[in-house]
Amino acid sequence: MELQLGLRSLPTYNFIENFDLNNDGFEPRDQMLGSKPWISCEDGNNMDYKRSSEVAFGKNTRYASRELPLLLWSGQPNDEDDWNGEKKISCSINKNGEEENRVEGWPPINSWRRKVLHHDQDQARHVMNSSRMAAAGNYQNGDGSNSKYVKVKMEGVAITRKIDLRLYNSYQTLTKSLTSMFAKCQNLGNDAARYSLTYQDKDGDWLVAGDVPWQSFMESVQRLKIVRNAG
Amino acid sequence: MLRKASLFPEEMLEHVLSFITSDKDRNAVSLVCKSWYEIERWCRKRIFVGNCYAVRPEMVIRRFPELRSVELKGKPHFADFDLVPDGWGGCVYPWIAALATAYPLLEEIKLKRMVVSDESLEVIAKSFKNFKVLVLSSCEGFSTDGLAAVAANCRNLRGLDLRESEVDDPSGQWLSRFPGSFTSLASLNISCLGAEVSFSALERLVGRCPDLKTLRLNHAVPLDKLANLLRGAPQLVELGTGAYSAELQPDVFSNLAGAFSGCKELRSLSGFWNVFPGYLPAVYPVCSGLTSLNLRDANIQGADLINLVSQCRSLQRLWVLDYIEDSGLKALAACCKDLTELRVFPSDPYGAEPNVSLTERGLVSVSEGCPKLQSVLYFCRQMTNAALVTIAKNSPRMTCFRLCIIEPRAPDYQTLQPLDLGFGAIVENYMDLRRLSLSGLLTDRVFEYIGTYAKKLEMLSVAFAGDSDLGLHHVLSGCEKLCKLEIRDCPFGDNALLANAAKLETMRSLWMSSCSVSFRACKLLGQKMPRLNVEVIDERGPPDLRPENCPVEKLYIYRTIAGPRFDMPGFVWTMDGDSV
Repeated sequence: MELQLGLRSLPTYNFIENFDLNNDGFEPRDQMLGSKPWISCEDGNNMDYKRSSEVAFGKNTRYASRELPLLLWSGQPNDEDDWNGEKKISCSINKNGEEENRVEGWPPINSWRRKVLHHDQDQARHVMNSSRMAAAGNYQNGDGSNSKYVKVKMEGVAITRKIDLRLYNSYQTLTKSLTSMFAKCQNLGNDAARYSLTYQDKDGDWLVAGDVPWQSFMESVQRLKIVRNAG
Repeated sequence: MLRKASLFPEEMLEHVLSFITSDKDRNAVSLVCKSWYEIERWCRKRIFVGNCYAVRPEMVIRRFPELRSVELKGKPHFADFDLVPDGWGGCVYPWIAALATAYPLLEEIKLKRMVVSDESLEVIAKSFKNFKVLVLSSCEGFSTDGLAAVAANCRNLRGLDLRESEVDDPSGQWLSRFPGSFTSLASLNISCLGAEVSFSALERLVGRCPDLKTLRLNHAVPLDKLANLLRGAPQLVELGTGAYSAELQPDVFSNLAGAFSGCKELRSLSGFWNVFPGYLPAVYPVCSGLTSLNLRDANIQGADLINLVSQCRSLQRLWVLDYIEDSGLKALAACCKDLTELRVFPSDPYGAEPNVSLTERGLVSVSEGCPKLQSVLYFCRQMTNAALVTIAKNSPRMTCFRLCIIEPRAPDYQTLQPLDLGFGAIVENYMDLRRLSLSGLLTDRVFEYIGTYAKKLEMLSVAFAGDSDLGLHHVLSGCEKLCKLEIRDCPFGDNALLANAAKLETMRSLWMSSCSVSFRACKLLGQKMPRLNVEVIDERGPPDLRPENCPVEKLYIYRTIAGPRFDMPGFVWTMDGDSV
């Protein structure tokens, strides 16, 4: 059973030399970060596969010029007709409807690790908390949980980070850490004085950090924002 | 000359064979002639069965009567990502029962992705008087009761390694079942256990085992107890810490730093759950000697992380979260010139927006600065063909390259082109590539490159890629050494599969889920290829209630000399001659 595909010769990579990153003269486009996907599988519909099967089987495919005699094992002809109509080509079957549009099993993270460490899992939180209670000793957090992850956004920076406020015990330690975290990518240096730390409290109001005692701050903070000082 | 060969004493051949340990070499020896086959099989001590359903235990026992070590793998790799429904199979009990009768002198059992019951563990504990090593990697189905049986009965145990297994109803008391006279432990990995273990039992155990070289704790072991453990085992070579946080107290810190300083043999560190950065400097005394650092569970960011990694100039293996960012990888490339393996995991894999500044530039830096790089696993959110071409040229020693761009079908973010050319450069330049995982926007062209260049490729993982059956055909017809192929969400159907049916017998297994293989094709394959088990996994119900050309949900094909298995759950159907 000979299979002849008549492979075209593969292109050389010379035209890629211009992009050789060894020269480090390469500027990524920040606005492309988080850009929309080329084709989203999360819509859960069949559009992608119908389109690609049309491409494959006869409608102006770029492979039309080469021989395509894939022989079926039993010698039966290609049943190209099957690709139209009846065949339901299912996209990834997402059984967990309640999870936000997640593709099942993607990205390929070990599921055991997801169960143990994912913060949304109640059981994991219970397990982790009981260990953190043991580990953290004298930590006192009013709401009984031992981690408090909040989002931190800095004006002018595309990336929103997350930090665990539990790691800090004062405004000083917090701002010091935030400064080093953001200054490194912004080359702020001494310009740190021109920024203020604000936070959104439980009522949704944005306040300047530092006016209330640390403990009260810890109890009410929902997210942080570093803003440039006016003037 | 023939006469001389037949007078070659068996004992001498056996002695020579005792130096040949690799499976491939052993298999080759057994093919030389009948008498060599016989001699070899009588003196083979270790066996590796990559698919527990490829052979029946009785067949192994009949051929190799003197085994001391058995290694088995069960579920397909995609089970790690929940793609194999619970109950599919991989139950080890039939093997354990057979081994218990046949090999009273068995010393080692290593299992991966298998379902292990407490009953199996009890049989192991009581059947093998000289049992030494138990490794349960990504296994499930057992509880600490089973572990207690092992602890209580295996008097010569040297290694107990539960890496990444799921253990039910954890209670720490099983550790106390090791008798006071038990001192042979060399390796203990309990990092996967959820609940607390009895610390005093652990401390006593560690203190009385002078050969203990590997100790991987779980996150329930608090930091302030770590120093005591270390002082009881200064000979440790590999350590996995427990939780790495506590309120910062100078005496706790200095105690810990002192304990680490005393561990002069320490070469590998892991653990670091829940890190309080203030305690990181306590490990600095050992950093310069570390060859392996696993921060996969460590929530360290920014300067803390970079400072730690920069201390480890002898590092060969680094596993880290993407908190390391491009800047950290650049620092890594500058100071860790012996790096051979890098794995960067996503800290927020399900977030829609990137939460860290980790891009293709980080991997490019490492490929530039670390000429010995052999193995990469890299999760990121953007990639370009240019970067891949650069990485391909910089790291000729690569044997394992796994790239996961988090968004399915993401193109080159600069040119919006598919990443075919980039991966094409990867396979063309990496002459020794054995394992490859693809991601991003890919057409059939990338498979053409793979089929043409990846002649040593043994394992290929594909997701959301390709346009047509031609893609699959390129791989099956071109990759001569292909052993395992796993595919999900690709428009591959019947044609390529049926045209390359014979190839499937040369491979260990093929997994295809959410593809376009029809039930009819599965039946045909199963009917025509008696040495393949063609398993249709479909939780929608019996496939013959739907039209024959309807694609099956999941398909797992593997070669076997054991025939169809009989332990399948209700959602798995084997396509053999009878079912057509």
